[in-house]
Order: sequence, then structure tokens, then C-alpha cells
Amino acid sequence: MPRVASGSGGGGASDSITGALVPFLPDSQDAVVYPLRHGLKPPISRVSISWARGNTLRVSVFRSSPAESDSDEDVGGKVMEVRPGGNVDGQLSDAQWRRIAYGSVSPFALLQSRRNSALSVSKMGLSPSPYHLEWWEYVSEYSKDVSSLLGNPKSSAGPVIEDPKEVLKKVEEPTCLKAAWDLMEMFYADKLSQAWLPERLVDWLADYDSLLSDTQATVYLKLMEFQGRLVTLLVIEDDSRYWEVISSALAVAWLEIAVKMLRLHGSYQLDQLGSRETENGLVEAVAVLISKMPRLRPELGAGKLGECFKTKPDFMKAWERWRAQVTKLESSAFWLQCDHLQTREGLKNMLQIMLGNASILSTATCNWMELYISHILYIRPFTVGLESMYSLAQKCIQLKPMTIPHKLMRLIVGILGENTEVILAECSRDFGTWMAAHAIEFLTAGSDQAEVLLHEERDNLGGINIEELHRLIYAQVLSSHILTWQIAPIYLISCMKQGMGLLEILLYRQPVQHNQLLVKNLEICRLYELDSVSSNIMKIAGVYHWKHGRKGYGVFWLQQARDEVCLNRIAQQLFNSVGKSISDESFKQWEGLIELLGSESKPAGGLEFLHKYRDFKRSLKQVNDGKITDATQQAVESLMSLMKNTSTPQRFWLPILYDSLKLLYWQERPLLNVSQTNLLLNKLQELSMARLHPDFIEADLPPQALSSVRLALATNLGRAILEES
Amino acid sequence: MAITGLPQPPQIHRVPQFRYVDSIRWLPSISPFQKYLTVAFFDTDSGTPSLEIHSLSSSKTLSLLSSWNPPSRISSLKCTPSLIAASTFSGSLHCFSTAGKSLESVFAEPQISVVGRDFHVGPIGGVDLMEGGSDCVSVGEDGRVNLVKIGVEGYHGKGNCRRVFDGNGLVSYTAVRWASPTEFVTGGCGFGLQWWDLRRPGSAVAQFKDNWDQGTTSGIIHSIDIHPSRKHTCLAGGSAGTVFAWDLRWQQEPIILSGVGTNDAKTHSLSESDVWEVHYDCYMKSASSNTSSSRILPAMICSEDGILAVIEQGEEPLELLAEPCAINSFDINCQNPSDVICSLEWESIAILSRP
Repeated sequence: MPRVASGSGGGGASDSITGALVPFLPDSQDAVVYPLRHGLKPPISRVSISWARGNTLRVSVFRSSPAESDSDEDVGGKVMEVRPGGNVDGQLSDAQWRRIAYGSVSPFALLQSRRNSALSVSKMGLSPSPYHLEWWEYVSEYSKDVSSLLGNPKSSAGPVIEDPKEVLKKVEEPTCLKAAWDLMEMFYADKLSQAWLPERLVDWLADYDSLLSDTQATVYLKLMEFQGRLVTLLVIEDDSRYWEVISSALAVAWLEIAVKMLRLHGSYQLDQLGSRETENGLVEAVAVLISKMPRLRPELGAGKLGECFKTKPDFMKAWERWRAQVTKLESSAFWLQCDHLQTREGLKNMLQIMLGNASILSTATCNWMELYISHILYIRPFTVGLESMYSLAQKCIQLKPMTIPHKLMRLIVGILGENTEVILAECSRDFGTWMAAHAIEFLTAGSDQAEVLLHEERDNLGGINIEELHRLIYAQVLSSHILTWQIAPIYLISCMKQGMGLLEILLYRQPVQHNQLLVKNLEICRLYELDSVSSNIMKIAGVYHWKHGRKGYGVFWLQQARDEVCLNRIAQQLFNSVGKSISDESFKQWEGLIELLGSESKPAGGLEFLHKYRDFKRSLKQVNDGKITDATQQAVESLMSLMKNTSTPQRFWLPILYDSLKLLYWQERPLLNVSQTNLLLNKLQELSMARLHPDFIEADLPPQALSSVRLALATNLGRAILEES
Repeated sequence: MAITGLPQPPQIHRVPQFRYVDSIRWLPSISPFQKYLTVAFFDTDSGTPSLEIHSLSSSKTLSLLSSWNPPSRISSLKCTPSLIAASTFSGSLHCFSTAGKSLESVFAEPQISVVGRDFHVGPIGGVDLMEGGSDCVSVGEDGRVNLVKIGVEGYHGKGNCRRVFDGNGLVSYTAVRWASPTEFVTGGCGFGLQWWDLRRPGSAVAQFKDNWDQGTTSGIIHSIDIHPSRKHTCLAGGSAGTVFAWDLRWQQEPIILSGVGTNDAKTHSLSESDVWEVHYDCYMKSASSNTSSSRILPAMICSEDGILAVIEQGEEPLELLAEPCAINSFDINCQNPSDVICSLEWESIAILSRP
């Protein structure tokens, strides 16, 4: 993705180079080549490119028409998916993004549920505002949970024996995402340290200055470069870069680096200590002053230099004292005795930095952010309030304009300017949809004004508010991936207006082929009580399985969905295959399906007939000629219940009666009484009438079946009348 | 859920994989100090499934020993001390021998691959390897029950595959488990269980169908386990948090261990979502002194709503893990039952060591 560069500092929104929708920069050199392994023989006649799922492109490659190809085995074309490396944050792979997405679900859901309960409390009139006093504590907890996902740049443990010449510690490369999140947390969530905001910014720059090096000259880069040369330098203090680098480190208050480097000074070496005593004394005096610098903050991390003061009066007193010490050293007479020019100049330069000399600070720092930090530290250490911080930042930007504004810097400007829309725009443009959806919690918690702005329903957004818009966008991104679609509902459900509708669409859109996926989909329906969606999905699954020959599965899902209409329809199809009087062998196959249809409480459409039919066939099989047993009675009962039941399809009447011929011609005595036989005769009559109807489906039986059944029934009737009289 | 009877919670390590974990199993090892896993992965970025053997170090890091790319995603995975069997969603079965081989070379080539329309059409629901034997039974959504004899080294071909039953799609099977060298149990829709005996071919010798609930919903069996010392009892887990035991001696009366379909106050309902896997848990000693053969031994389950727990008849369930995402499969190390491994929906593996 070409980086959008705009001439105007900071703005960037109005790219009207040639009126193109997407600005195309012909000079961008970072064209990426994606090799396609289509494995087709030339000639390729056509290539088509379209969007596939998510951020992938579908590339279809076609050969010229198959008629021209020499052999049949040649493939006519191939379809491939190509994933352009268009990550918003190039530092994170897709898999790492997914991990962040998974991890942020729980903190987000917890915060939403807390908001809902807070809202319900305020509705009952117990509390005047939904965002009562403790709200920022919840946001802070949320922020810390999310932050821990984004990686911890300070986590890597240093070596036990420190390399004396290693100035910059190697740490895990931080990500811009983490830097941006920390920035938001610092300004919006961490109310406890609002008083120490400038010092927190100093820490932030120390952690993430390396990131700014992507587009800016930085002190970090300077240090890295110098560290590379350090080993080759024999007399370090003769090198002008040495003093430059120390001044730069001091200007952004990397005190321990400045002190460590000062102590690399040649005058510390034992063989020179005697001859350079005064020089060494001056170097050490500056080093001590640096390490005693007063800081307005509650504490410092291990190994960090400076003296902490929690309250402003204490800090002011200490600051004045420290400044006095610096001035005193500056006007000391010892400088005249220092023979080494570079040392003298370098140290004096550093004292000027500590005294807040604006022009020297400007030369020691590389970009406006660093200049800003140095101004906060040395020129206006008592700066409080966003307004004054913002005006200072503006001043620094004027002094050191950005050629290519770094995305983190744009974000800082937005935050300091308290411009909610700009912050959101920067978040979504530079840090992706995840950032926009999650950082909005900071903004709504930040101020009432921002909250009103973000929660205001807008007609141009279709009646939704900005908060919902960003959540919907993020949910859309989640939905496009087969592994993350399951967490999209969490975000959709938090969208009051359109969330539910989109959730239903998302659930309907999931494929039903995979049993496991289907079950997971239904589970989401259950969680959100979307019973109608769930039953529709089950219907879709049922029909899908039915169509693919998995009749049992199809019936199961349709039963679960209680879809009588569909069940009735497929029953007719099933009867076609049952139609021919089932042999014993094939009935074993049906056994499982019939078991599934099971008890009568479950809806089965016309299929419950199969269950009775199976019972009838089974009992008929157990009937032995000649002797009346329980099985015989059972068979007669089954026969009667089948013929009485209205759900028994007409086309089965004749096969059932034909199967029961041996019951009708029972040797010993007639098994059916007069009324039973009459009922069967009536059915037979009905059947004869129905046969005249053009839609009638003829059973696969011998042609004389009807007449033989009629004869048997008549015979039985005669015998039954005799028996009863 | 009250944590009872366990003085300390298990140690849990979560290892992110950046790939979807379809299935996970412990691989029995010869050395007691070495632990091996076989894992079925699916890499969505490249769209490639893979079957891998990893060794697990004491610091809970995985290192790859051997890997193989199946033709499609793995639907079911089983391991015995000498064999690994994996079935796919495209209906093929692949068996690997681990006997007398270094683990690095196990996945060089499948000992047997059975593919084709004569075998299974569509996804294979489950496979099981006979303990100590060489027979593999596979069941599918197409309703077929197949038996594959994994013969001597180097024996290939389809002659060793036998159709036990063809349901022609009228039924679908989703799980299978051997009960004895000639008997196995299959499970499917409607909480149906079928007991098969190879000596009486043609159809199942016993069938079970849920009849405990008069409600209108039913479910699917996802997993079956049979304890080697109680071969007449079959433990099954499936939809709606249902876990029940079916004793062949009392076929009409299932013993329900967990589930929402019941109104029985004595049954603890642990989860309302699908139970993906059940295994008897030989690590848990039965809390009751009643050791009659009709009593169901403690069992472990994992569920769609992220619960890994041990349940026992008439006892309060013991929750080992409660994740924000689904636990799709788990396995108890049969050599060291305190070790449990499970695969999580969010592309990671959790390793539990019980105290």
C-alpha cells in the first residue's frame, strides 16, 4: 500500500493531485511482486481479478479455449487467492492481528456489561450520570487488559554482565499500535497520573523514539549510529559526535544514557587520571548534576536517574536549587583550567541544555516531538493543562516542521488539540479498524463533550452514531475471516441500531456444510436468543444435507427446526423409494432413520408413518402360519392402526393389504371381525375410486393384486359373519 | 461453580499457535521423561492443513519433529502406542505406524491411505483404533461404517478395507469407539447410539435412542468413550451439554451425568452448549466408596462454551478450565494422567498439569 504523503503539514485529508479517488504516487518505489504459481501451459488468454473473502484478491487465469489444446488432460484455467501485504500496520502479521482480536474480546465485553449496568442504575435515578466516579477506573482496567495483549517492550531481560560500551539496550521492537494505545491510555484512562502527564510523555518518547525513526531523524538513530562507531574510537572525547550525542540524549532526558556515556570519557582512565584531574572533576560534576535532576513524578523505574518529587511546591524548590547549582558550575573558575577544548565546549553545551537554552535545545533534538519534550523538561517544567501543552506543541512544530508527518505524531497533535474527530480519523486511518473500535472507549470516557459528539445520532450515517459506526466497521472486518467471524457478534450486539440486523445476516451467511461450524453458529443463536434465526439455519442445513443424499441428517435438522412443511414434502420423496414393498434386507438401512423419527411427541411430518409401517412389517415377519400368537395379534393391530390413521399415504394402502393376505386367509379362524373387515373394504373402495385420478401413483405390485385383496377381504367377511352369528 | 476436592488448581500454560487447531492427542512415548503430541493444524493464511508431531519440553514449549500435509482438514485423530490414525473432511483415512521408528520419520509416508468413493463419501465423522490391535473403524456422515485392517509393514492397497454397513445416507454417524476386539459403538443424530458386533453382521445389535426428554429438541453425539474395565457401559457426550452413560444391561435407562434436557434435580448441569469430547479420567479417584460396576467412573469433558471439567455421578462437577472461547478437543496423557492438553478455538493450545 503506498503511503499517502501530503504536502500540507498535518492535514493530509485533502489529496487532490489529479482528482483521483485513491491518490497514486508514480514515484513510489515500493512496488511488490506477488508470484502466481498457476502451473498452466501458455498461452494464457485471460486474467480476471476480483475480491475474494477478507482482504484477499481472487485471480482467475484462463488458457485459450480448450478446443485448441493438444491433450484432454490440460486444465483450462486456475483460480487462486492472493493476499496483498496491505496490512494497516505493516509490523503485525494477520495471525498476530487475530490474536489481538481474540484477546480484546473479553475486556471489551466486560466494559460493555459494566456500562449497561451503570446505565440501568442511572435510569433508576440512583446516580445522576452513567459515568459516575468509578467509570474511569473501569476504562483504565480495560486499557491495561488490552495493552498487555499488544506486547510489552520492556519485558526482555538484559544480560547479567553489562557491556560497558553498550549504550542502547536491545529490546524487543515495539509496535506502533502499542505506542498509540499507550498514548491514549496516558491521556484518557490514567486519571491518577494526570499531574505527571509531561513526565509520562517523556517516558513514552524514550520507549517509542525508535518507531519515529521510520520517517524522522531521531535521537535514537543518532545513538544507534554512534554506538556502531564506538568500538573503533580510540580517544572518544576528541570526537565531536560524542558530545553531540550526549547533548541529544540529555535534551530528551535519557539521563542514564548521558551519564553512562560521560563516564566513557578518557579522563576516567587510571593512567590519565593524574594529568587530567580538573577535567575529570568537571565531567563528574556534570554527571552528578544530571543524575540529580528533579522530576515531577511519583517514582522512577529501576536504573533510571533523577530525583522524584510528588508535589509541585517540593518540586519547584528542588528545581530552583538544582538550577542554582547548574548556574554555579557554569560560572565556575575551573573551566579555565580545563585544557581539552572539546570537553570544555561539550560540557558547557550540556549545562546550557540544563539551563534551558532554546537554540541549543533546538540543535540537540531532531524532530518537533523531541524538541517539545526538551522544552517541557528544561524551559517550561511547570506546564500543566492540555491547552498550554498544545500551544507549546504548536510552537515546536513551527520550529521544526515535519516533512513527512509520522502517524504517531499526527495522533499526538490530535490528542493535545482535544480534537475528537481528528483522533478518531487518525486511529482508523493509521492503526486500523481494531484501534478505532477500541479506542473510542477512551474518548467517550474522556469528556462529556466528546461523549455527546460520539453518541449523537447522525442522519448522514443512517441514524447511527459514530461509536456504532466504528464498531460495525470492525465487526465487518471480523466477519470476513473464517476464524474471527465468531467474535463479531460481541461487537454487533453492542450496536443498538443496526447490530441485530447485521448479526442475523452474518449468521445466515455462514456455511452449513460442516457439522462443527453449524453447531457453533447455532450456539451463537442460542446465546442471543435468536430462535427464529436458529430454526431457519437448521432448515437450511436440513435441506442442504437432504439434497446431498444425507437423508438422516436432513430429517434430523428439519425435525429440530420443526419444519412440518418441509418434512411432509420430503416424506413424499422418501415414500417413492420405500414404495416398492420393502424387502427385509433394505429395511435394515431404514432402521436408523426410523429410530430417529422416534417418539410421537416429535414433529415428523408424514414420516411417522414409516415408524408404524416398520412395526407392521416386523410383526408380520414373526407371524407363523397356523398358530395364533402374540405376534399375530400384534400384526392385526398394526394393520388396523395403519389403515385407520389418516397420515398413511394412499399409495401404501394396497401394498399393506397385499402384504397382509396371509392374515386374511388365516386357517384356524378369521382374525378380523366384521367391522374391521368392513373398514378395510371401504378403504379398498376409496382406493379404486382414487385410481381413476390422473395423479395416482400405482404401486409396484402384480396386476391382479387388487382383485386378490378384494377376494380375500370378501372371504374373510363371510367367515367373520358366520363366526359372529 | 465451586471448586471442591482439589487443594490446588492445575497449572495452566497457554501456547498460541497462530493456526487453527483441529485436533490434539498425546502420543504415547517409550521414555517417561519425554512427552510428545500429535496435532492437526489448519493454517487459514495459506489454506493448508497439516498433521504434526511435537515434543513438549518441561518449560512447555513445543518443537516440531515431523509434519505431513493431508489432502484436507483432519476431522478425527486417534493414537495408540504403535499407530496414528487421521480421517479427513474429504473422506479419506490415513494411518501412520510409530512402532520401531524415530518420531522424526513417522510422517514421511502414510502406512495406509484409504481414499475413494468406495470408502466414504463426504466427511468422516469419527475413527477409532483398536487398543493393542491393528483394526481401524471409521464412520461417516454418509452412513457408512468401514473397517480397515492395518496389516504388516509395507502392505498397501484397498483389499484391507471392509464395509460393515452402508446406511446410504439414511443415517449419519458422528462418533465411534471400540468396546472389544469384535464390538464397537457408534453415535449420531437424535442422541442415537448403536452397538455393533462383528460376529453378527448386517445391522447393529442394540440401539439406543433418547427417550428421557419429552421435549421437542434432540441432539447429536459428538464423542464416545468406553472404559476398558467396564465394556458394557458406553459414555457419550453431545448437544446441549448432555453427557450420559448407556449400560447394555439396562438398555432403556440411560444414566444422565449432565444436561439441560432433564428436570432431574440430582443431575448437575455444567454447560448448556455442545460437549465436544468425553474421556474417562483415570486421574480422579472416585469420591465415593461405592465401586459397583454399575457406577459410572469419573469423566472429563470439554465444551463449546469453554469449560473443561471432571464430572462424576451424583457429585458436584469440578471445573479445571473456563475459557472465553470454545475448547474443541482435549486429551489425557494415559501414561501420566495428571497431564491434560486441550485445543482452544482461538488458535492456541492449553497445557494443564494437575497437582
